[in-house]
Amino acid sequence: MLTEKSHLASPEALEIRDISLTFRERRQHLPVLNDISLSLPAGKFISIIGPSGCGKSTLFHVIGGLLKPDRGNILMGGQNVTGQRGLISYVPQKPALFPWRNTLDNVLLARELTGGANEAAHEEARAWMNRAGLGGFEKAYPHMLSGGMQQRASFLRGLLAPQEVICLDEPFSSLDELTRSDMQRWLLDLWEDSRRSVILITHSVDEALILSDTIYLLSGRPAAVLHRVDVPFTRPRREDLTEDPGFLELKREIGARMKEEQRKKPI
Amino acid sequence: MKLRQLWNSIWPPLVAVILFLILWQAATSLFHIEKWILPSPADIAKEASTGAAGLWRHTLATLRLLLLGFAIGTAVGLLMAFALHVVPFLKSSLYPLIILSQNVPTIALAPLLMIWFGFGILPKIIVITLVCFFPVAVAAMDGLSRADRVMLDYMRMAGASKGQIFTKLEIPHALPSILSGIKIAATYSVMGAVIAEWIGADKGIGYYMMLQKSSFRTDKIFLAIAIIVAISLAMFGLIALLEKWLIRYKPAKDDK
Repeated sequence: MLTEKSHLASPEALEIRDISLTFRERRQHLPVLNDISLSLPAGKFISIIGPSGCGKSTLFHVIGGLLKPDRGNILMGGQNVTGQRGLISYVPQKPALFPWRNTLDNVLLARELTGGANEAAHEEARAWMNRAGLGGFEKAYPHMLSGGMQQRASFLRGLLAPQEVICLDEPFSSLDELTRSDMQRWLLDLWEDSRRSVILITHSVDEALILSDTIYLLSGRPAAVLHRVDVPFTRPRREDLTEDPGFLELKREIGARMKEEQRKKPI
Repeated sequence: MKLRQLWNSIWPPLVAVILFLILWQAATSLFHIEKWILPSPADIAKEASTGAAGLWRHTLATLRLLLLGFAIGTAVGLLMAFALHVVPFLKSSLYPLIILSQNVPTIALAPLLMIWFGFGILPKIIVITLVCFFPVAVAAMDGLSRADRVMLDYMRMAGASKGQIFTKLEIPHALPSILSGIKIAATYSVMGAVIAEWIGADKGIGYYMMLQKSSFRTDKIFLAIAIIVAISLAMFGLIALLEKWLIRYKPAKDDK
């Protein structure tokens, strides 16, 4: 049993313990998650890298309470919250802004759902929108924004949500290379100021190394944790981090492991 | 710029209509067609300028009937769609029956309704409701069940309640679909009202048509048809305007 004191001493914002999940349809069994354990300390940024189609998004659905795992538990601040919804802030792969809401109302959606969309929240949202380069677009509908701007609005929606843990599901995958590195930098600055607890799913090793404190490498389906990498670089991360020899070495090492895993994948 | 676009889309059908009227006029005088078989457009116009005053009362009666029926029919359609969407069991048990019910021609039911409910406004309202609710209900149910998957996942993970998902995601998402259903219902309601008046009424455009039919006043029947078309177009136009205003977030169609 955890006492009040002990989980103050190890404040894991989110802990995933031995999660397994198999999709069953008729007689077909498709194991997707295999004994996955990982932990996200409060105020940290962790990334999950895995081959495409390995079940990363399924893992988010389990964390978000949309799917119930066959085995294992999700803990938040020491409490078992397996299968409960509304405890994480989710930033989906596609921006998924509501086309009938203007940008400000979209950004405030998560607040609205919990009944906290008051004047103060509006002010806060406006301030963040200015920081995100969305100032002046409060009344614009999503289709008037560029892809990068839509994604930033989607981030702000996640950031302004009252939940402590933010789950980012490959948020940059639909953006072009230039916008993508801009957005990574932007997210990094934003996060280093706000220090929320973040899980990022990505398939870019660079992205994971630039942004996170810890990286979990997942195997192909059924996904299992292959390896855990602690990223040693100091914060705030430097602009030229990507040219650092330590960065390149780590990137090469992770890349090699991923390639090996990709090769194992049955065709 | 916008006016020019509007004009460009209007003039070709307009020219076609004018050509058709000229052809009609020429044919009736060229082949000496009797007025009681096919009056010329000029005859109809003459009738309109002299006899329109007496028609106003009938037009008003029909308008009142169809607006009331249309409003009730749309409301019934929407309520039914919402109920069937919220309770899956209702949907699986009733939806096939609703589809099947459309094989019964509503007009065939009208005499029955007259027997049951008399010659007042009630059986007529029921006829219009019967023709209106179906397009609205089907369009609304379709729209409600097609809510975007990612948005739905987002709402559920964010802890949105069923009510919140319904009002903040499913309804706005279904709105364009609902409005196209309502547009169809609007034109159906005009037809429903006229038919209801054919079968039993003491005023209204449908009643007027029956009256003129028995005295072979073909020109007056054509006048009545023109009024029905005008009402139908006006209803359609009003709903289209409402749609434009409600769905104003949508990008213009010629974008990209």
